[in-house]
Amino acid sequence: MMTDAPDRPATELPPPAPAEFSAAAIAAMDDVYRFARSLTRDAVDAEDIVQDTYLRAFRSWRTFQEGTDIKRWLFTIARNVFLRSRERGQREVTLDDDASAAAESAQAQEAWVRGGLDPLLHRAELAPAIDAALAELPEAFRTAVTLVDVEDQSYESAAEVLGIPVGTVRSRLFRGRKLLQQRLAEHARDAGFLPAVPTRSPA
Amino acid sequence: MHDHQAHGHHRHDGVDCDAALSQLFDFLDGELDDSLESRLRSHVERCKPCFERADFEKRFLEAVHAARVTETCPKALRERVLATLRAEGLGA
Repeated sequence: MMTDAPDRPATELPPPAPAEFSAAAIAAMDDVYRFARSLTRDAVDAEDIVQDTYLRAFRSWRTFQEGTDIKRWLFTIARNVFLRSRERGQREVTLDDDASAAAESAQAQEAWVRGGLDPLLHRAELAPAIDAALAELPEAFRTAVTLVDVEDQSYESAAEVLGIPVGTVRSRLFRGRKLLQQRLAEHARDAGFLPAVPTRSPA
Repeated sequence: MHDHQAHGHHRHDGVDCDAALSQLFDFLDGELDDSLESRLRSHVERCKPCFERADFEKRFLEAVHAARVTETCPKALRERVLATLRAEGLGA
């Protein structure tokens, strides 16, 4: 039970924190941290996002609707914290274009990618490569893939967290997954598991 | 199960290969309504190229999930967050 908060006027007192805050929100801290890492690609920045996310979540606990998905709520806050922290105005608009070209290239090499990756997917050694490849994806794709493939969020939930339409989540997921496969195949080639790409243009 | 070269012209339950592949991720992600999911499943089970493609994508998604779920929040950060929340009144 809250008693008093001497540092702030009575009108700014945070709402009383229900016991569920520690039970549910804090239990999701690994998930929030992973999501923050996927947003920032930087451990220190991710820690700042997590810290700020929990502070804001705690202070606005009353706005959380019981019975809804707490991870979705926390991810949405984390995403907003991240956007605010990135005040330089560097938005994700250009990322779609860059990755669009890359995705087309990925499509052209689909058979090579699939044929090469297929026998490797069950190998535990692939995990660090997947992790690195995911970290290198443009943010727009990385966050969509992280929310759905790592955090098991629905398309609708990812759309809410990212503030974009469900159709955009769907296209970002498709492109993000194909880019990821392409990079993994390149990793496999570099590691000697795969021959050189037969269809790659000389440019 | 069919094995055909002309991928894209086969129909099962009103779903051809193009339609199946264009909705493959929705299918694997459990995002289709029951009726469409059932028809797409039927197609994938009977069409070898689509089955192989779906099987690959499914195992790829499982590998991505398995690779990342092991990453956990650093203990020091967890303690720092909890200290901040206690200062805000958590558990007070």
